[in-house]
Amino acid sequence: MLWLAILVPDLPLQVFTRGLTHTNTPFAVVDRMGAARILCANAAALALGVQTGQPLSTAQAVALALQLQPRQPEREAALLAEIACWAGRFTPRISLAPPDTVLLEIHSSLRLFGGQSHIENQLKEGLAQLGLRARLACAPTPLAARWFAACGQGLPARGDWRCGLDALPLAVLGSEGDCSAATLELLRGLGAQRLGDVRALPAAGLARRQAQSVSLLLARARGEQPDPRLWFAPPERFHHELALPAPTDSSEALLFAARRLFASLASWLQARHAAIDHCRLRLLHERQPATVLEIVLGQAANDEAHLALIARERLDSLALPTEVCALGVDADHLLAHVPRADDLFGAPGQARDQAMRLVDRLRARLGENAIRHLAPVADHRPEAAWQTQGRTQHGRQRPATSKAASNPEAVLPDRRRPFWLLPHATVISPQHYTLLGDAERIESGWWDDGDMRRDYFLAQRSDNTLCWIYHELSPPGGWYLQGYFG
Amino acid sequence: MGQVLERLPAGLVWQGARLADARGAALHTGFAELDAELPGGGWPAGALIELLAEHPGVGEISLLLPLMQRTPPERWIAWIAPPLLPYAPALAAAGVPLERLLLIQPATADEVLWATRQAAAGGSCALVLAWPERLDTAALRRLQLAAEESATPLFLFRAPSAARHASPAALRLQLSPTANGLRIDILKRRGPPAAHPVHLALHNGSLQESPQERPAAPVPAPPPRLTLVG
Repeated sequence: MLWLAILVPDLPLQVFTRGLTHTNTPFAVVDRMGAARILCANAAALALGVQTGQPLSTAQAVALALQLQPRQPEREAALLAEIACWAGRFTPRISLAPPDTVLLEIHSSLRLFGGQSHIENQLKEGLAQLGLRARLACAPTPLAARWFAACGQGLPARGDWRCGLDALPLAVLGSEGDCSAATLELLRGLGAQRLGDVRALPAAGLARRQAQSVSLLLARARGEQPDPRLWFAPPERFHHELALPAPTDSSEALLFAARRLFASLASWLQARHAAIDHCRLRLLHERQPATVLEIVLGQAANDEAHLALIARERLDSLALPTEVCALGVDADHLLAHVPRADDLFGAPGQARDQAMRLVDRLRARLGENAIRHLAPVADHRPEAAWQTQGRTQHGRQRPATSKAASNPEAVLPDRRRPFWLLPHATVISPQHYTLLGDAERIESGWWDDGDMRRDYFLAQRSDNTLCWIYHELSPPGGWYLQGYFG
Repeated sequence: MGQVLERLPAGLVWQGARLADARGAALHTGFAELDAELPGGGWPAGALIELLAEHPGVGEISLLLPLMQRTPPERWIAWIAPPLLPYAPALAAAGVPLERLLLIQPATADEVLWATRQAAAGGSCALVLAWPERLDTAALRRLQLAAEESATPLFLFRAPSAARHASPAALRLQLSPTANGLRIDILKRRGPPAAHPVHLALHNGSLQESPQERPAAPVPAPPPRLTLVG
């Protein structure tokens, strides 16, 4: 077994700062309980003199532009679960270790990812995309991995890892919550500074002083006692929220935060070998119902860049009723996703993906109805012989490879037809036109009030343009221009 | 001097009287007369091409038809803000793959430019035809860059009055209809200015009789042969 601990330091703070566009904005989280005190603050706030544990009024006096949020423990738990979902693409064996750690069992994934250091690098890159700062450490037991991560150090390069464990400071025992402050105080009073010192103390004496839990913890960390963990079961639906550090209505800031969630969504999809063709971006307001953006893709995808591109167009053209305080992304209906094999000679599917993305992007900005496909219709009346199609069933969403794909039953006229049709036929004076060839009589449409009796001609106008004109046979008659041959 | 130049290896010295080589690949227009006058022997693949015409219907679709028929699979033909309805039966009969044709009708002039740029830049269109209402030099420059970047030929249809203004387009052609086809004046190309216009016969074979043999005004009398349909 090889455990990797992802420890998120200052989790109450990072819940908010991952949506923060500018890192030089001073920001702090205050404890909600009792007198308001600073719980943690970001680097910009610390540089201004804000300290943890400081009363709120002092902090505000020190840093005028300080942005504040109350601590939200439920968001912290949700963020931990989001990290666990996201990490599902590295290993299926994940365990949560509240308050701030996610444990991955990576022994069986080592070969797939090319070794421990590769996994760590990929995790670091991925966490940066989620907007999180984290400390990683590996060890053969979950407790040891977590303690090493808490101290910000890895396994000792040489020697036994248990020796490294003995050298850890006593304070790591407090992070788990199993070891009470009184016990820690007792151990400190006994002169123990490091875990090794505690282990050297007689076990019977510790047990007599109600400190036997420490011995158990140490035995688990050293792998001498079993340490069973509950595996994290990833949810069937993606439903995560991101709290913004301050309410905003800037589409750039919203998009920045939405990217974090999309990165998380993409990774969750990859872990499940799934894709989505639509998801929902919820913009939560303080006092009003949420604004919901449906993000619809033309084709199932699991790529965060594409989602972000569509979201950008939708956000740009959106009029927000008020400022947004949090974002949420929901994805419910998963579709099977078959990953495409890489090809030595360019990827043939890549062109199709690009073509689909263009249509998605145009639709997101211009509206559903601005993008149409043309298709002929089997009707003799020129006005009724064509139609446009918008978004229809799935097969039509991409440029088809076969020519016969569109409406094979439509019979094409055997006479020449113009490339351009006027929206409405216009009255012309026939002196300017020279008829070419024979007439084509079209007499049709008695069944649906579109009755017509016309003689159609190719004609050359005096400026040499080739036109399609007709002579109306039913009263009141007259000559009309209906199209250009172009 | 001329002999000396001719003995030099091809491509070493460029003479002013010759057409420039196309920067990228050139796409055959399908008309040998026109290919001979264009640098590289065809439409420049990644460039802005302006086609100036008085009104739609002068023969511009017939001119681009060979290109549209050759659309590679998985790529679009984008028609952005066409002034009239492209008539589906005629296009289908001419061999244009309609399922690859995207008809884009943005609501405002700004969105027309945006859509044109998106279509030209992505590399997912085989060719882009756009009928923008108004254009300034900055917009033209952006479109030219987008077309260059993705090697997509971008055809802009503009009024002949646009010829008075400078343009970054690689090729500017003025189209006017003639009795049996199309007259193309090459206003700008990479190379020496064109000496004479190109005449293309677009309608040969499809018009049974030449227009001179017909009476000048339409004859309201019953035509010689009627095709009864419907």
